[in-house]
Amino acid sequence: MDNLFYAMAFIIFLTGFWIMLSHANLIKKIIGMNIMESAIFLFLVAIGYVKNGRAPIIIEGNPGITYVNPLPSALILTGIVVSVSVTAFALGLVVRLYQHYGTVDVDEITRMRSEES
Amino acid sequence: MITAHIMPLTILLPLVGVYLILLVGSKYRALARKVALLVTGATFVMVCYITYLVSSHGKLFYYLGGWAPPLGIELQADPITAFLLLTFAGVGFSVILFAYDILPGEINPKVITRYYALYLVLLASLLGIVLSNDFFNIYVFLEISSIAAAALVAINGDKLAMEASIKYLIMSTLGSGTVLMGIAGLYMVTGYLNLDFIAGALPVAYGHYPLTVLMTLAMLTVGIAVKAALFPLHVWLPDAHGSAPTSSSAILSGLVVKVYIAVLLKLLYRVFPLDFITTLPLQGSLLVMATLGIFIGSILAIRQKDIKKMLAYSTVAQIGYVFLGIGLFSEKAMVGAIMHVFNHAVMKSMLFLSAGLLIKYSGRRNIADLAGLGRVYPLPMIAFSVGALSMVGIPPLSGFISKWYLGLGALEANQLVFLFVLLLSSLLNGFYYLPIVIAGFFQTETVEIQKKEIPIGAQVSLVILIAATFFFGLFSNVSVDFLTPTVQGFFDVLGGGG
Repeated sequence: MDNLFYAMAFIIFLTGFWIMLSHANLIKKIIGMNIMESAIFLFLVAIGYVKNGRAPIIIEGNPGITYVNPLPSALILTGIVVSVSVTAFALGLVVRLYQHYGTVDVDEITRMRSEES
Repeated sequence: MITAHIMPLTILLPLVGVYLILLVGSKYRALARKVALLVTGATFVMVCYITYLVSSHGKLFYYLGGWAPPLGIELQADPITAFLLLTFAGVGFSVILFAYDILPGEINPKVITRYYALYLVLLASLLGIVLSNDFFNIYVFLEISSIAAAALVAINGDKLAMEASIKYLIMSTLGSGTVLMGIAGLYMVTGYLNLDFIAGALPVAYGHYPLTVLMTLAMLTVGIAVKAALFPLHVWLPDAHGSAPTSSSAILSGLVVKVYIAVLLKLLYRVFPLDFITTLPLQGSLLVMATLGIFIGSILAIRQKDIKKMLAYSTVAQIGYVFLGIGLFSEKAMVGAIMHVFNHAVMKSMLFLSAGLLIKYSGRRNIADLAGLGRVYPLPMIAFSVGALSMVGIPPLSGFISKWYLGLGALEANQLVFLFVLLLSSLLNGFYYLPIVIAGFFQTETVEIQKKEIPIGAQVSLVILIAATFFFGLFSNVSVDFLTPTVQGFFDVLGGGG
């Protein structure tokens, strides 16, 4: 049971990965991207978790308490910022593509482009 | 003070330049390019200073905020790092110099300020990836570089470039997601993010969790291969590099795909023990993919009609050479791979820049229509020819030297097959590069062209790149002598003298 979080993180990671590769809809691709990144964050949090651990705020004169590892959580904060900016930029591009082509479907866009040329 | 903090300052300088450009450029648009030129020039000077320090004092270390690793982030410069830094800063400066007068005609004047800002963000992230010795830090710089690179493709807002840009962004996010998962795995088994500490803890960790370590290595390699466009993960590259503005194509093809190779080098030669890697099927698969990439990239390049698409497919093939050099795991081949990173950066940016000039002044992108342009515009066509001949591997140009070392490496590793791969692929390179050169100089032009003056900045930039191609071909011992001791060090320490 200890590895449940790791296993789940990998299942979610692969789900996101698969959505990104298999769907033609750009919005769905971006959702897949976010699912994939959430899985990585879950994985990192699970690494840092210590059983019965508390938030790492050390109170003087209170020994014998276990704390969770704070580093992965700090890393994830950075990771979330990165992921949000990539998502924002990708969505911006999709909006502009939709203005040009009237669709967010990659296959449709490819077909329209080959008809033009 | 500057000497002590030279490494973080080198990364910070372009970032400060970004703020300056955005501040100044919103009001005085013409100043943006001057600031960009100044900042990239200063960055190049600082990188030269780092190289001087490395060559006179040996490895440089810097702890950000004074926190020693494993707590803090560490920057590190060895001769290989310095060599890559010189490549990035030097080519980055030449491209900005080239763009000085060309850019206003090529992209929307409204976005020029932002273009320069993005360019400097990209440059800072490239230098950061090369210098950083902390894996999470490298990941953050990787993401900065992929957003900035995708934005540089889409800057003009035309639909082809936007489409290429989103494809590029999605693929490179897939790649960096996989890399981050790999980094998380490494952190899980070793408890460190600093490369040297990971390397120290890895043998024990491998004993406890062999499968996790193997999976981590696989995820990191695949993630990096997607971003570096190793065949068959190259599908995003031709569109992105073919439809971007000229100076973007030059820096994307010349530098951005190379920086991921710098990460792979760190990973394979500094983190994972060499005797461990050689027991895995990794070497074989790298070599097969590299060989396929070299041939299929070249064959697809032959079939292209658009000159920029052709150059982009040629990049797929050239990346194959670099991976070949890394995958052979021999001293000479690695020297060849690192030199090819530099040589290809110079050659490919020169080819993209000169092709961009020819496209701009003739208004034609088709290879067949470029006939006779060498008489109207001698300098861009000469630059193109020098780049083309260097790609094919004609001595004394620099492309010959890196292929020579790759060939020596193949002999050293006792893999004679790859010698034939190199020879045959040079022939294929000749197939698509030489007809353009011959038609450019010896055929008459198909349509009358009005001759226009080429801006002085573009001319100087092309001359610098031509000179670099000749210099590193004729005096290749400079770079070889600089790189060899470090490369030998890798193989002595990690491979047990092998």
